[in-house]
Amino acid sequence: MSPPGANGESTVGSDGPRQKGKANTDTLKVGCIAWVIKDGQPRRAEILSIRDTKSGRQFYCNFDNFNKRLDEWVPVARIDFNQDVEWPNPEKEKQKEGKTKKAPAVSKKQPSKKAQKKVAKREQSVASEEQTPHPWTEFVESQPQVKTPAKTEDAEDKANASLEVGGTPGVGPDEMELDEDETPAERAKKERAQSFSREEEIEKLRTSGSMTQNPAEISRIRNISRVEFGRYVLFPWYFSPYPEAFSQEDCMFICEFCLSYYGDLKSFSRHRQKCTLHHPPGNEIYRDDFVSFFEIDGRRQRTWCRNLCLLSKMFLDHKTLYYDVDPFLFYVMTTRDEHGNHLIGYFSKEKESTDGYNVACILTLPQYQRKGYGRLLIQFSYELSKIEGKLGSPEKPLSDLGLLSYRQYWSENIIEVLLQSSEREEKCTIEGIATTLAMTTQDVEHTLQALKMQVYHKGEHKVVVPEKLIKQREKSKLKQKRIIDPDLIQWKPPVFTASNRTWGW
Amino acid sequence: MATRKVRYKKLSVKTPLPVLREDQIDPTEYESLTNESQIATGVEQAEENEYHLQAVLQGAGVAADKEIPVPPPEESTLSYDALYPQKFQKTCTYIRFSQTVEECIGCMYDMTEDDEAFLKLYNQRRVASAQLSDDDFEKIMEVFEDTAYIKTPFAAVDQTIVSYDEMLHGLHDLDKSKVMPHAKEIYEYWKSQRQALGNRPLHPTLKYELHQENDDLDPYVCFRRREVRLMRKTRQRDVQSAEKLKRLRKELEEGRQLVLASHSRELLKAEMLKTDRAIFEQRAQLKEHKIRLGIKTDDEDLINQKPQKRKAPEAPAVQRPPPPSQIRMPLRPDGRPTEADLAQLADRLAEKENELRADIEKKVQNHSDWNKAHVDLTRGPLSPVVGPRPDLSFRPAKTQYLMTPPASASSASLEEPLPMELDKPENPHTVFKFRGVAQDEKSMENPPVYRRRIGRLNRLWIDRRGLASPPGERSEEQSDQWKYDQSSDDEEDTPMYEVDPFDTRALKFRASVPLPPWMSRTTAPPRQAALPPILPPNLPPNLPPAQLAQLAQPPQQALPRPLSQGQAASS
Repeated sequence: MSPPGANGESTVGSDGPRQKGKANTDTLKVGCIAWVIKDGQPRRAEILSIRDTKSGRQFYCNFDNFNKRLDEWVPVARIDFNQDVEWPNPEKEKQKEGKTKKAPAVSKKQPSKKAQKKVAKREQSVASEEQTPHPWTEFVESQPQVKTPAKTEDAEDKANASLEVGGTPGVGPDEMELDEDETPAERAKKERAQSFSREEEIEKLRTSGSMTQNPAEISRIRNISRVEFGRYVLFPWYFSPYPEAFSQEDCMFICEFCLSYYGDLKSFSRHRQKCTLHHPPGNEIYRDDFVSFFEIDGRRQRTWCRNLCLLSKMFLDHKTLYYDVDPFLFYVMTTRDEHGNHLIGYFSKEKESTDGYNVACILTLPQYQRKGYGRLLIQFSYELSKIEGKLGSPEKPLSDLGLLSYRQYWSENIIEVLLQSSEREEKCTIEGIATTLAMTTQDVEHTLQALKMQVYHKGEHKVVVPEKLIKQREKSKLKQKRIIDPDLIQWKPPVFTASNRTWGW
Repeated sequence: MATRKVRYKKLSVKTPLPVLREDQIDPTEYESLTNESQIATGVEQAEENEYHLQAVLQGAGVAADKEIPVPPPEESTLSYDALYPQKFQKTCTYIRFSQTVEECIGCMYDMTEDDEAFLKLYNQRRVASAQLSDDDFEKIMEVFEDTAYIKTPFAAVDQTIVSYDEMLHGLHDLDKSKVMPHAKEIYEYWKSQRQALGNRPLHPTLKYELHQENDDLDPYVCFRRREVRLMRKTRQRDVQSAEKLKRLRKELEEGRQLVLASHSRELLKAEMLKTDRAIFEQRAQLKEHKIRLGIKTDDEDLINQKPQKRKAPEAPAVQRPPPPSQIRMPLRPDGRPTEADLAQLADRLAEKENELRADIEKKVQNHSDWNKAHVDLTRGPLSPVVGPRPDLSFRPAKTQYLMTPPASASSASLEEPLPMELDKPENPHTVFKFRGVAQDEKSMENPPVYRRRIGRLNRLWIDRRGLASPPGERSEEQSDQWKYDQSSDDEEDTPMYEVDPFDTRALKFRASVPLPPWMSRTTAPPRQAALPPILPPNLPPNLPPAQLAQLAQPPQQALPRPLSQGQAASS
């Protein structure tokens, strides 16, 4: 392992220079950046929340350049108080607006839009947390209430100002440095710019879309610590808007078939005596000896689909539950045994996607991950696109795991197509590959570039298949991976009328 | 190393790209060719540089042993079988299902641990017969919760509590004798529980929008309703509207053309009337002149011939509507309703049924015709062998029971065939022994083998091998043998020879019966000899004695050509 922080720029608390100094258990507060031991290594971590338990004070830490799913409650013992702690910048600096206005002109580097967005993100998400009632209210309440809707008198003015800043063309090679050049004044403005675009974001979500680009939509602190689900105990990765009462429970219980949630074991076992569901409440559209697929309409099965979304939100960071599930269809993959059809994973799909997405959200439950199920889900989504006669692509942003799964699926299939045409000594076009695999041409190009297969040689573009990928393909052929048999799909693309569209599906 | 600047041609998605393997290109060149351009991953930019993701992406394409770490799930310690006791019946066909979750889980109220403690205490005070069961308790609570939800949707805000009297209405639907004695006390318990929770529903519920200003920022508020969608302008919608407009335009145009056409038609009609009138007047004049001048030629000019023909097709079109009513009218008096002409559904059905019945009867008739000549010698008919057909290799001829003739004729017994008393070698003396087949040990070691196959035009072929020695060439005097065969067929009192039709030697013998000349002359494929379709089992007893005697001679001579070839090939 390389030393922490050496890879890439740091993302934790990168909004400008901070005061540094020694701290102790009692003075360490929310927003501080401290060095915390993670997996035996010291790492920079931002304190997002503090709670007192019987075993002592605990700090909720977000580690520098680690995904949020690795955030955790850390006991005092793991915090290195010998190192300096970076203090959060006091809010009152923001008032020195007039004085610092010329600062950008003086500074060598103009802030890039990227940086602005990121900074604003941090501010926003912290803010949203403040609005959120927590079990740890005593700490949250001590925070100054920054954002109140009453402040909107000069909103237009500020929006204009922020547009100006946002429009500055910036070529930022290094965000870290940029961040240091940022002034609090700019931050304040950008914040408003962000809230301005937030409305656009919500409008976008209203009409379609299941993924949020807006980090403010993402709550930063996990609210459920432990979930009993079927034969497994799951440890959620992200926040999910289950009833607030559940965040106080040590453990939540979810019925494996109807996905109803319970905070109380007695209620749950009573429910289990009454629940008669043994499979997702929809039509089976695919069955082989290994898995089944069910198609479920978000409008007809609102409760079930909402439950599914709540469940999957625990493992999908950018999934938004802002709007209801009506405009989506859910394709649920299950495995069968004598108890019923057990949920493995699912993907949702807009009934009508204006952007040509064939997947909105896609998830394999953690207990089934790394077993090749993700590939089956992805393949199924493309098989449906083939039946529809459309080229499809997953909705963005992808998660890290989503990116890896998709890249693997794409590269495996593209290489298969390429080697076949290389054996026949035929040329192939990107469009040809795309139509064969029902992928968009952008995704094909993306994969070719990511695998460094596209070259420009002797005045013409060529595709070169690297040796290691050929070997890898042979190896994986030996493994006999499971695939979806398109002949077993009993499915016709659902048809929706104009009134469906107008009256909210 | 000098870096050459190459201007790239633009790569279109339609450009045909040659596909090369890495070994088909100069490795040093390849290194320099792979461009290191940054590609958009589709991951949120802030997360793109995360440590674990980058670690995996570094080894892009290679079977990455590096993985992104996630909090690992664990096996549950709860008893799965206790919580999920019901077994699932697998279906043969794909499941089709449309019930909602609410319809599948029965009573919506689930007893909590507090409820359980309360109910236990509550039931302790009562005799066993007057106790409240868990299910009834839940039903009562469900009514309270539902009524409260309907009557006071904003209970958490305005703190109104639905009174017991209002609850009674909902309780009427339940089993009164079981519920009513407890309802009042359960109500008091419910009320206390509600108040403890700030008059919120007892089961934790999701937070829905309340249209308050802080709703938007509250991450717990979810599944907001989407307002009716604005009609968005998309290319598809534009195309659709354009299509609709085009269609409308076309229809209007057609209507206009129709009006124009009928207008000109009416004009033409008026013209025609005028012409007719003119003709009439001219004729009248002509008639007058004729009379006046006393011309007595035939009057064909005065009669309208062609126009009448022309009118003929036109007239019925106008006059057609009246006739039916005129025809129908007289029908009524003779008592038959006009509906009698119409095809009645019942008649149709009866007709159809008759047709079906006739068809079935015809099939039955066909079947019995087909089975007429058939005599089933096997005492217990066998059921047809199911499963794949045996392979088409040669099989030794063994005595065995033939399959039942048509399945429909058999009594469909599924039992294994057993040799019948008669066929057991207790009474071999009655069996006619063929002398014609060699019985030496050599031939016993190599029993004749046969192969049955279907040839072109669905002809059945029996190929054979391993026959001892074929009978000799047919002599001139033997060729007239058919005369005797024919005559003997007519005799009723043919002497019966008891022959075991399944004896190996009998089979062998039958297989060696020489072909009639007309058959051996046909161009049989080399190495294979055709036999007439399988001999029915009842044939041997009916063989005419002359033929039997003739064929029983020791067959030292060679068989007709095709057979000897077959033998040569097989040995």
